[in-house]
Amino acid sequence: MKIAHNLYKSQKLIRINLEYNERENTINQIRISGDFFFYPEEALETLEADLIGRKLERDTLKQEIEKSLGKTEVYGFDSASLTEAILGCKT
Amino acid sequence: MGKIRFSKIRTLETGYNDAALNMAIDEVMIENVQETPVLRIYGWSPVAVSIGYFQSMKEEVDLDKCNQIGVDVVRRLTGGGAVLHESELTYSFITKEYPRNIMESYAWICEAVVMSLHRMGFDARFVPLNDIVIAAKKVSGNAQTRRNGILLQHGTLLLGVDVAKMFSVLRVPSEKLRDKIIKDAKERVTSLTGTTFDELSLSLKTSFAIKFDANLVADNMSTEEINRARWLAEQKYRSKEWNFRR
Repeated sequence: MKIAHNLYKSQKLIRINLEYNERENTINQIRISGDFFFYPEEALETLEADLIGRKLERDTLKQEIEKSLGKTEVYGFDSASLTEAILGCKT
Repeated sequence: MGKIRFSKIRTLETGYNDAALNMAIDEVMIENVQETPVLRIYGWSPVAVSIGYFQSMKEEVDLDKCNQIGVDVVRRLTGGGAVLHESELTYSFITKEYPRNIMESYAWICEAVVMSLHRMGFDARFVPLNDIVIAAKKVSGNAQTRRNGILLQHGTLLLGVDVAKMFSVLRVPSEKLRDKIIKDAKERVTSLTGTTFDELSLSLKTSFAIKFDANLVADNMSTEEINRARWLAEQKYRSKEWNFRR
């Protein structure tokens, strides 16, 4: 298990706090924070929950995030930038 | 954008309160608003930092510094960034009827704010999503939440600005870049110098009345509203569970 952080500048600033399984390359826990707007607000927690167990791979993450963002309105980042913010934890 | 009119707007001037009570009063207004929307005007005492709903208190705010200099902290119900509430007027507009499109609804309410600044001689304009600027410098930040079919938008109007103090209580992404960040912020932020809270309050109320073709009904919070707000301030907005949830 490894803990990593990343600060990613999209239209707004995204902070990622990630706990992941290095061997399996999967997400154990994730917290996404920042000065963005996300409607409805509670849907961010749903997105974080949906990412648990997912592979830290660009296509997998982007697909999962797109699915979640489809039900929300977000100002400050998009699926591509959030994907990069998460993957940036590993670099 | 469809033309929405209100016959009345309930106006509340709730004075200067601490951060927790200020956010609690906003939440009570969401709970209680009926067909008549509410325009609330208020200030902050002591000086406070509010953080956005999705921000991390520990990562955004220097809590030791806040303790040292007596700056209050609170998490808002709305998204967006951290704000130092010192020399400013804050307003909230709470309504059941509003444009469902988020961008439209920001423009819809911010137009009334811009009108109030024009009346006072400031060449202000709305910049989507949520800013109001004068000569390309931000003078007002605004944020919304929608709960149970109710829209709340609150926003700040800077009467003065102390960028150095702001960054003394806010953490910056890179300490190495602190000086540059402060310099950049000074170039990007302005204030309504020479304007008083009361003048701005009056102009704001007038603009909301004109914008929405509404009569203003000056009111006070009811005893029930005050008690509920005090309870929410204690139980929610002063709690670690709320303020440190991210």
